[in-house]
Amino acid sequence: MDSRVITITSGKGGVGKTTTTANLGTALAMQGKKVAVVDSDIGLRNLDAVLGLENRIVYDLVDVVEGQCRLRQALIKDKRLPELYLLPAAQTRDKNAINSIQMEQLCQQLRQEFDFVLIDSPAGIEQGFRNAIVGADEIIIVANPEMASVRDADRIIGLVEAAGKPEPRLILNRLRPEMVKRGDMMDVADVLEVLGIDLVGIVPEDELIIVSINKGEPIVYEKRSRAGSAYINAAQRIIGKEVPLEEVEEATTFMERLRRMIGFGPPMAEKRVRS
Amino acid sequence: MGIFDFMTGRKKPTPGEVAKERLKVVLAHDRLKVNPELLEQIKTDLLAVISRRLEVDEQHVQVIIARDDRWDKLHADVPIKRQKISFEWDPPAYSPSANALRGNKIRVEVERLEDE
Repeated sequence: MDSRVITITSGKGGVGKTTTTANLGTALAMQGKKVAVVDSDIGLRNLDAVLGLENRIVYDLVDVVEGQCRLRQALIKDKRLPELYLLPAAQTRDKNAINSIQMEQLCQQLRQEFDFVLIDSPAGIEQGFRNAIVGADEIIIVANPEMASVRDADRIIGLVEAAGKPEPRLILNRLRPEMVKRGDMMDVADVLEVLGIDLVGIVPEDELIIVSINKGEPIVYEKRSRAGSAYINAAQRIIGKEVPLEEVEEATTFMERLRRMIGFGPPMAEKRVRS
Repeated sequence: MGIFDFMTGRKKPTPGEVAKERLKVVLAHDRLKVNPELLEQIKTDLLAVISRRLEVDEQHVQVIIARDDRWDKLHADVPIKRQKISFEWDPPAYSPSANALRGNKIRVEVERLEDE
């Protein structure tokens, strides 16, 4: 199977790139794929912490590029899944420590060993972002259903197109069904209308994510979490399976939930998402 | 929903709708590097052209650039001034007015009154 290098980016900071990268990587590895997740946010590393691997770092991305060590020495095997590896960012350097050519070469090396290479991009549109996309086959944009995030996402779409990469796809993260119902938040259709790109996942806001980050255990392991199942579904779609889009409406009352269980509630959205 | 609905106060939008409408405008402006000055110039140019063919109510013209379904579009809302219309009226032979008006050509002028 051909290797796929996917960069997860957003423009705006704090929308969930790192969480998304960690969880998509974990979910893909759960499906039996060999996955490398790469933290390209040099100077502000976090992918290691989200995966709970922060005290296993010996070498990092910059060490590999500068020839201080071999790639294998820098790759950290995940605690739980033998097919998942992390290439951490350097913490004491900045985004100019490596250039686009070096990044592209690194991606080529990683392709030899892995089915999927997921690159966690830094926020912004400068060298860090450019490095993160240069070696990518595909780009996934993470956005929140909120004005500033969507605006930045649009800018990223423009830059990705200008870089000659295929049209990016969207993961809409931190959706709050209650707010959507009240009219206080844009819904999925609104965001898609404005951005005009294809959707690969909808992840609801979930307090358990904060817990998962604090514990260093990706949310996809938590069966109770709707955000976790959303990431698992998104990973399925990335592999090419057809998974119906998550229903956004919360069953807010006991009676509504009961009705749904015995088949009187509104039907699940039948939309299929392209892979 | 028409693109001018919120601007003309026909509907009161929810914050979600406000966000969407603002985004449609700001994304087009960001991409095309449009500023308010440029928009005014476009509006003036447009009015000059249209006024050559139709009488325009310049006070109430609105020009916006906004995203609409993957395209950035220019939308212009250009009210046309109500015209006087006139026609010649030939009353049918059997109508009461025919006797009264016999032999005369009638010209009728109709003007719709402004209802603002």
